[in-house]
Amino acid sequence: MATTELRKPVPAPRKPVRKPAGSRPVPVGRIALYATLSVVSLLMVVPFAWMVITSLKSPVEIASQDAGLLPEHWEFGNYVDALKAAPFATYARNSFVIAASHTVLNVLVASMAGYALARIRFRGSETIFYLFVAALMIPTYTKVLPEFLIVRFMPLAGGNDILGQGGSGWLDTWWALIVPGAVTPFAVFLFRQFYLDLPVELEEAARLDGLGEFRIYARIMSPQVKPAFITVALLTFESSWNNFLWPLLVTHTDSLRVIQVGLSVFKTENGTQWHFLMAGTTLATLPMVVLFLIGQRYFVQGFATAGLK
Amino acid sequence: MGATTVVKARPARPPSPPEAPAARRTGRVRSGPGSRRRRAGMLMVAPALLHASLWIGLPVMVSVALAFTKYDVLTAPEFVGLANFRDMLDDAVFRKSIVNTLLYTFFTVPFGMALGLLVALALHTGLKARGVFRTAVFLPQVTATVAIALVWLWIYNPGNGLLNTLLSFLGIDGPAWLSSTTWALPSVILVGIWQGIGMKMLIYLAALQSLPKELYEAASVDGASRVRQFFSITLPLLKPATFFVLITSMISAFQSFDQIYILTDGGPANSTTMMTYEIYKSAFREFRVGYASAQSLVLFVLLMGFTLVNKRIMGGSRGHN
Repeated sequence: MATTELRKPVPAPRKPVRKPAGSRPVPVGRIALYATLSVVSLLMVVPFAWMVITSLKSPVEIASQDAGLLPEHWEFGNYVDALKAAPFATYARNSFVIAASHTVLNVLVASMAGYALARIRFRGSETIFYLFVAALMIPTYTKVLPEFLIVRFMPLAGGNDILGQGGSGWLDTWWALIVPGAVTPFAVFLFRQFYLDLPVELEEAARLDGLGEFRIYARIMSPQVKPAFITVALLTFESSWNNFLWPLLVTHTDSLRVIQVGLSVFKTENGTQWHFLMAGTTLATLPMVVLFLIGQRYFVQGFATAGLK
Repeated sequence: MGATTVVKARPARPPSPPEAPAARRTGRVRSGPGSRRRRAGMLMVAPALLHASLWIGLPVMVSVALAFTKYDVLTAPEFVGLANFRDMLDDAVFRKSIVNTLLYTFFTVPFGMALGLLVALALHTGLKARGVFRTAVFLPQVTATVAIALVWLWIYNPGNGLLNTLLSFLGIDGPAWLSSTTWALPSVILVGIWQGIGMKMLIYLAALQSLPKELYEAASVDGASRVRQFFSITLPLLKPATFFVLITSMISAFQSFDQIYILTDGGPANSTTMMTYEIYKSAFREFRVGYASAQSLVLFVLLMGFTLVNKRIMGGSRGHN
């Protein structure tokens, strides 16, 4: 398993892994390789470029059949107007609040569970671990409907009585947006994998010093798996920010709308004003792109660890 | 991505060298202070377990139960036995959605995997700019599907979208991609392949980096060509990664929803509707919650079935790592 290798050097080891270079005097193959990869990369990036370019065109230019690919006048004002046309700032704030809460909750709760499942054997711990593993296999669509019903019939919330009747439960509340998706079995699983790798001497020494189990987890072991924390945090934030179906189902007021839902509504409500829509989409995409560029190696590590363990 | 982490979870038990001793020794503290330790362990798992019970365990049970009822949220569920499943057999649109889901999966997954593997192999050769290429290919993976679908909606725009603009330079009059019954599904599939390559590439790349170099050195000494090495060494060794990519990609392909919602709404004439979209429609537009639960159960069973078949064919993911 690639565990040890993946630890640090994830931004792809600098040194070539094989060393075919010497056997190839003419770099024809290499040039072809660069060319192919450039084309592929271009195909991946062009839609993003097209999104930004469109967001800077005037509506007239967008509507005209024979306009060039690049805008004639760069309409940076589109962004200001888009923010006026739809409350994107509110949507973005909502998305941020939800993603940040998910991140904090998931990292706290899942790391604790992952630690316990990796390092402490208690009655049922193995069963619990396999339950989490099984939970990973349940498709979203098998859960989403009953989850909605639980939210809708949440007892004593939103005017509901103790049996969950009468009101609207958690529908259209922050609770519905934050609580159901807060902890993921995937994070528990990932944390467990990271904690498994730590040497037992560490915790034994701590135990001899008389530290309690919670302190060993918080003070001794967790600092050793900082990359796990960063990885889970980034992946959680990203998937929460990008989530669409759940917020679509449980909210209907504008003040609680998240950015992905806001965009989808903007598309139909205003007869698709492409310059605004692309400006909004750029605004929704940018934070994730920046986050990805900064934390790239942790994203890579997260996906790769999931794949290799 | 969850699912096959599962499959990978298992090798952790007979763990690989570095983790083996540690893993074996943990948790073996005998009674005495151990009981406090065990209690702490239970306490630490409790919040996550509670959350999973309420938001995964309970929903799954409710889903199974509701599949055998007629339920519109307003009145109490009424037991109807297998009626929902019989209705599904008569439901031409649902049948269409199954076919579309299978077509979508069949085209996005294997093609995406082949492309992902090719890009991974190219990036594995130790190019200087590999980081830039990798970032570019992976970018769609971190972007919201909604955002991606909106951008493609605009690219596919029949009048002055990017695609038809480029085609017009070549003198080709492009079709109205998403509103043509011929082109809508292929258009949706193209977006699926495009978005999914990054993930597949990344897992393959990580797997490639963990392959033992000695084998290749030995093979080179024996005079095996690069192509031969690929088919006799690389591909067999990549089997666990292939299995993982296959399963995770299939699960996410089966559950595609956001792009359908944005790009086509299942149309034109149901030519792009998917199982997930039908579940959504039954539940939240027609309020046939029992029927939707039955549909989601079919989705689950199909996915499980495919996973097991794949496991059979591929011999699971054990073995090589």
